[in-house]
Amino acid sequence: MKTSMKGVIVLAVLVGLVGGVYGLKQFIHKSPPTNKESRSQVRAKGNPSAPYRIVEFIDFECPACAAGAKYLKDVMEKNKSLIYLEMKYYPLERIHRHAFLSAMYAECALRQGKFWAFYDQLIDQQPKWRQLGDATPAFVSMARKVGLDLQRLDACLQDPSTREAVEKTRAEGRRRQVRSTPTYFVNGQMVVGLRNLKGILEKEGSRTK
Amino acid sequence: MKTVRLYACVLSRIVIGGLFVVSGLEKLISPYQNFLYVVQGYEIFPPGVDRVVAGVVPWLELFLGTLFVLGLATSTALAGLMALFAGFIIVVGQAILRRLPLTACGCLGELISFPLPVIIIIDSGLLAVCVFLWRNKGLIRHFGLDRLWDEE
Repeated sequence: MKTSMKGVIVLAVLVGLVGGVYGLKQFIHKSPPTNKESRSQVRAKGNPSAPYRIVEFIDFECPACAAGAKYLKDVMEKNKSLIYLEMKYYPLERIHRHAFLSAMYAECALRQGKFWAFYDQLIDQQPKWRQLGDATPAFVSMARKVGLDLQRLDACLQDPSTREAVEKTRAEGRRRQVRSTPTYFVNGQMVVGLRNLKGILEKEGSRTK
Repeated sequence: MKTVRLYACVLSRIVIGGLFVVSGLEKLISPYQNFLYVVQGYEIFPPGVDRVVAGVVPWLELFLGTLFVLGLATSTALAGLMALFAGFIIVVGQAILRRLPLTACGCLGELISFPLPVIIIIDSGLLAVCVFLWRNKGLIRHFGLDRLWDEE
């Protein structure tokens, strides 16, 4: 009798915890707000009516992000109508010293209409520049390679709105509970890490074969 | 001396239980995908099993931690927490030995982050405290709900 009463209380604690956690989740995650960026601010490519709309929160210095970027580029080249990809900065400065600066350079490339060319450079050259104490010369060299106007680039880097643009997408990521990179939102569904993204896209690939 | 030991045991019970409650709750209110990514980073569980681990561990932490704080089914909760600590030590230890590129343990969600060598020391220390509590099971029941049944 005693034991069964104790069992009932343990069960009641369990039920209370489950209810409490679900209640708390409902209370905390009421439709995460997203920032509406103007068309010229959007770092996007692909078919806007593609079945997969992917928003990626990226840290250019993270090796997993580089692997993810290469994978997505490959998939998008093979099947041009599958994905619409939008990029948002999520620099993890605590662990990646060049993350914020690389995002600022990318933002400045965007303002000169060369975001994706610069992005490809950042991804391809990442193993080299992430080792450097000062990555600025590497970023300038990449900017020159993709044909950015260096004077405009300098002015852009000094412009407070560039920093704000990076901070804005990072703040959006935080609101959407992004914690690590790469984090993708595939048709609004959160997917963290390349392995899980591959799982979703490869399932689609095998379905359409 | 016995009083000091009694209070040390009860306080340790509440602190360790509280730690698990906070850790489990933080993971449960965050999107599941975040902890799944942490689990996958340790590269120890095969696909599918990693999802089960990411889904179950936070609930175990919260449930066992709550029971331990309340002093309800104390021995069972303590055994479960010791098993969790042992599991964490094994998982983190293999990551250190394999030199996996993990910068933080991800064990307390986003609240606090420790490098792997630090967390393995903390976990080992807390497991040692749990062993001490196990040897003083009679004392940790004080100020707990289990005492209601003891006194009947």
